[in-house]
Amino acid sequence: MAMWRFIGTVTLSSLLLACSASDDAGNSRAAVNDKKVFRYAMGGSPTSLDPVQSGNAYANVIVSNVFDTLYNYKYLARPPELKPGLAEAMPEVSDDGLVYTIPLKQGVLFADDPAFPGGKGREVTAADFVYSIKRHFDPTTRPQGAWLWQDRIKGLDEWKAAGSDYSAEIAGLRAVDPYTVRIELTRPYPQLLYTLAMGFSAVVPAEAVETYGREFGIRPVGSGAFRLESFNTAKAVLLPNSNYRDEPFNLIEEGYDPATQAYTRVAELEGRSPPFLDRLEIDFIQEGSALWSSFTKGDEVQMASLPDEQVEFVLDSTRPVILKPEFAEKYQLATGPEAGFVYSNFNLDFPEMGYNPDPERNARNKALRCAVIRSFDWPARNDSFYMGLGQVFPGVIPPGVPEFDEAMPRDSVTRDVAYAKQLLADNGWTPDNLPTLTYGTVAGVKSRLFFEQFRAFLKDIGYPSEKVVLKRYATFGDIVRAWSRSELPFVSKGWGLDYPDAENTLQLFYGPNASPGSNDANYANPKYDALFEQAATMAPSDERTAIYRQMNQMLVDDCVAVTGLTRMRITLWHNNVIAVPDSSIVGGGFLRYVDVD
Amino acid sequence: MAAAPETIARVAAPPHQGLWSKAFHKFCRDRAGLVGLWVVVLYAIVALGVWLGLWASDWAEVTGPKWGPVSAEHWFGTNLIGQDIFARALYSTRTAFELGLVVAVLSTFVGAVLGAFAGFFSGGWIDELVLWFMGVIDSIPFYLLVAAIAFSLGDSPYAMYIAMIATFWVGTSRLVRGEVIKLKELEFVEAAHAIGLSEVAIIFRHILPNTFHILLVQATITFVAAIKSEVILSFLGIGIQDGMSWGLMIAESTIEVLAGFFNNFIAASLLMFGLVMAFNMFSDALQDALDPRSVR
Repeated sequence: MAMWRFIGTVTLSSLLLACSASDDAGNSRAAVNDKKVFRYAMGGSPTSLDPVQSGNAYANVIVSNVFDTLYNYKYLARPPELKPGLAEAMPEVSDDGLVYTIPLKQGVLFADDPAFPGGKGREVTAADFVYSIKRHFDPTTRPQGAWLWQDRIKGLDEWKAAGSDYSAEIAGLRAVDPYTVRIELTRPYPQLLYTLAMGFSAVVPAEAVETYGREFGIRPVGSGAFRLESFNTAKAVLLPNSNYRDEPFNLIEEGYDPATQAYTRVAELEGRSPPFLDRLEIDFIQEGSALWSSFTKGDEVQMASLPDEQVEFVLDSTRPVILKPEFAEKYQLATGPEAGFVYSNFNLDFPEMGYNPDPERNARNKALRCAVIRSFDWPARNDSFYMGLGQVFPGVIPPGVPEFDEAMPRDSVTRDVAYAKQLLADNGWTPDNLPTLTYGTVAGVKSRLFFEQFRAFLKDIGYPSEKVVLKRYATFGDIVRAWSRSELPFVSKGWGLDYPDAENTLQLFYGPNASPGSNDANYANPKYDALFEQAATMAPSDERTAIYRQMNQMLVDDCVAVTGLTRMRITLWHNNVIAVPDSSIVGGGFLRYVDVD
Repeated sequence: MAAAPETIARVAAPPHQGLWSKAFHKFCRDRAGLVGLWVVVLYAIVALGVWLGLWASDWAEVTGPKWGPVSAEHWFGTNLIGQDIFARALYSTRTAFELGLVVAVLSTFVGAVLGAFAGFFSGGWIDELVLWFMGVIDSIPFYLLVAAIAFSLGDSPYAMYIAMIATFWVGTSRLVRGEVIKLKELEFVEAAHAIGLSEVAIIFRHILPNTFHILLVQATITFVAAIKSEVILSFLGIGIQDGMSWGLMIAESTIEVLAGFFNNFIAASLLMFGLVMAFNMFSDALQDALDPRSVR
């Protein structure tokens, strides 16, 4: 009897011990070590964290936290607005708009790293900025961001042509003194400041680049709010940069709007210096459902986008977006349109539907493209794939930019099957003589359904299904290559804005940007190009907006693209997190302001 | 003395029955096998009807709302873009039959021919070569190999067919080789040699016909394997390109089950389960019937 009691007691107590041990493990580290940990997740992993290779959005999120840029976007301002980052103030611009003089903050230090003498981070100077931009024009760094400044800064292209000798000076890109940068342009470039907020322009120390060589991509050293503790294909861990400058948080300067942002409790941050976290973990989780499970688990990822499939389960209503009570208890929510849009364009290089040397066929092709555009049922697309929350708009100037025109006629996004059929008939198109339309897509379930829906729309206007053909690509890289080689007659894609200026979307149809450039429609319209060049050197003004809208109308009239829809982003985060998610132009900027209770 | 046993034997022997007629009778007594056969025939009729355009020709059309419920009009509801799931599931029957038949016939043919040559010339260089080839194919994990072939053939609509045929013949070939090694020692082969028939003629006219019972069973097994592999490959995105299949429907359902919509998954799984199960029953019965050692 006593023996059994002994065994029972031992078993019970070991069970209890095991339970309490697992309880400790189950709690987040924040509670155990009294440290503030924020776990964030992204849908993919960056390949390199070197700013010159930070072309993809995932890399940008980490780069913008490890490095400094001269300018940043204000944390809370919507629409996005720039503010000085590493720069002391907004630049002094000459009257002709060609010379930018930018003062830098003094006493800013790089994070401590063995690459520096004594392991202590040294001061960031104007020369570091010049060096960082020069790296984009040094082919040995395999840069991705040169297009931002190519042909724009005096002497920079010549410097590259002469062999990228870092000791050689560049007339248009100089460190006047340790705290002043002077940029001289070849022609006015009103978007220059936006480029100085992108991860590409982040400031790197030459010592670290030289010490680590290619490894700099996984051992980045900068002067940003965080320093990289570890990085692999599954996760990045960032710790606060102890050398980060003291810059108290100022609600008004960050563009705080109490009416829409009070619920996020950001007002509690007033006067404190970021970063507020002791540890920032970024998981790379490709599978949407896995990310969502991790988010709802409670002690893992603390912020996530709401997957479309979960909308009905999580939301009480979509207009306006309201959480069901059981979720509202646990999560905060923010909604907003993405900075970008999804659309498809014809590749006019293909004489079957694009430009044709025969003027009569050319006109018939245009009618055919217009008919395809009018067959497209945007509300159905929105309902099927975006829970009806996307914003459909005509042309290529999306709602995310200031030049968006709400009053633009909506014919091009309004389905009219009878009109489309008539257009085909009037131009001599019959099911027999319609050309085969090859639709390229990356292999995947959703992209396949996109295609099937598009084919069904076309069938309604009499386009035979067997003439709408699917061409599959294994990876995104493969299809991008096909676009740039002008191999596909019809290109379906999304565009994320690099900066809040319609120039960034209108350049998608600018003649000189034709394949392999970003104009994969290979649209060639001298009038459009002339207007683009005229507007390119203009500062934001009503006059420039009028030109942008005129160009936008040209694209609609020429039936170049089936466009467009701006998706709605719904972001949720745990109640104990104080945050406002990004406006999505340059990702990751918000992380330095995140706090955890 | 010599005549006595012969007389006894003549009296005691049952009426002469060949392998095939014996198998037929045995098969007819196997109830599960018969049910399997009838279900397979039913599926074949459905597939033929799709092929002739009698039904499910609107599988690609949008005929209802997003995720429409089960109704008289849409027996399995509608999918994300409003296509009729029942029509898509029926159309997939044709895809499955096309693929199953082509792969089963061709891979069995390749396997039979190569296996017969290897077996007939066992120990020679032909045998070595075929065995080496089979070893190479066997040593690569199946799905990896199929994926590699499908990828290397790019966007050819026949990539998956070719990949399956290139891998499925091995199993048949091994069986046939073993059988041929046994057969070639028998008297009728020796007799064929004696009357001066060429080796190729002996293989095709005398040996291969005697492996038909193996080939038939192997073909039914390959048929089922092809259908199942298609589902996995299509699910992975390297299977059917243009068209519809159960694998694609199940892949589609991955974005729907999170939202609590299971119709694609249920429709494709049920139909596939029915066909695979029936074929397995049929194939088992056939195997039993054709097995000379079977006493049932």
